Amino acid sequence: MNLWLQIVDTAGAVLLLIGAATCLLGVIGMLRLPDVLSRSHAATKPQTLGMILVLAGVALRLRGGMELATLALIAFFQMLTGPVASHLVARSAYRTGQVDHSELLFDELDEQLTGGK
Amino acid sequence: MKRVLGFSFRNADLPPLSFEFGTRRRRVLDLPLIAWLTVIWVLLWSTLTWANVLTGLVVSVAVCLAFPLPRVDLGLRLHPWGILRLAGYLFYDMYTSAVKVTRQTLFGLPHRAAVIGVPLRCRSDLMLAATAVAVSNVPGGSIIEVRRATATVFVHVLDADRPEELEAARRQVWRVEELTVRAFGTRDEIARVAEPPPPPQLAAGRPAP
Repeated sequence: MNLWLQIVDTAGAVLLLIGAATCLLGVIGMLRLPDVLSRSHAATKPQTLGMILVLAGVALRLRGGMELATLALIAFFQMLTGPVASHLVARSAYRTGQVDHSELLFDELDEQLTGGK
Repeated sequence: MKRVLGFSFRNADLPPLSFEFGTRRRRVLDLPLIAWLTVIWVLLWSTLTWANVLTGLVVSVAVCLAFPLPRVDLGLRLHPWGILRLAGYLFYDMYTSAVKVTRQTLFGLPHRAAVIGVPLRCRSDLMLAATAVAVSNVPGGSIIEVRRATATVFVHVLDADRPEELEAARRQVWRVEELTVRAFGTRDEIARVAEPPPPPQLAAGRPAP
């Protein structure tokens, strides 16, 4: 039984590390990608995945029913709020003209907003 | 003559599983909302005791009375099997999209981004919002704008120079929409997403890249 606990503990530690590394990759992506919209990809997706991996690691270390439910709640709210924040950043960047349209291959939203000019 | 207490199963104007009370200013209490707030309260205290459950009930009723919501049916239905399928798909999706974004950053593959509009089939506000949140997790898609009138989401796609990538992004949005509605939607919304997706009029006449 002790060996089993050790395995679970190690798996939890590994998940924590992978999660932290994924978040780090997201930060590197934010530094390296060229514009706001691409950066918002890097800011949300790896972060959310890393956060969930960290939470899974913590869940493997804590192993309590209530703690599991609380961690699930955290993951739920993270998945709910992250996209909203990134959408707001992308939308305000787009509307205030921070987006370089020549960089985009084509833009169907611009056609809608300007009436297809 | 109105009763002091009215229940949703007698009065079709009320949201499901709720009751209203009072004489002049009728207040509506939504029972699932109160249950959900109580669950959050108990989880925040992280011990399941009667005291926590009771104080949670009191606090959530007080919150619902202090910040009343409009008495509309949001159209939220829970389908357990649909939620499981959506969660599994989202998790897989999140993994692949994180890998993709990481590859893009580390190796700096040359790519051209684009903004595409994808017309959705669902019409209710809640389903539109839920789909938009879920779509933010599809590989290489992030929402820029949602048009409520035409139920169109505008998605920023990272690598748009290949037409098959664009088609894949569109199909993925429709797939996520169908899964979301099958997890949370009402019956007629589900019937709506069971139909084939609308033809992409916006993409017509697009010059080949």
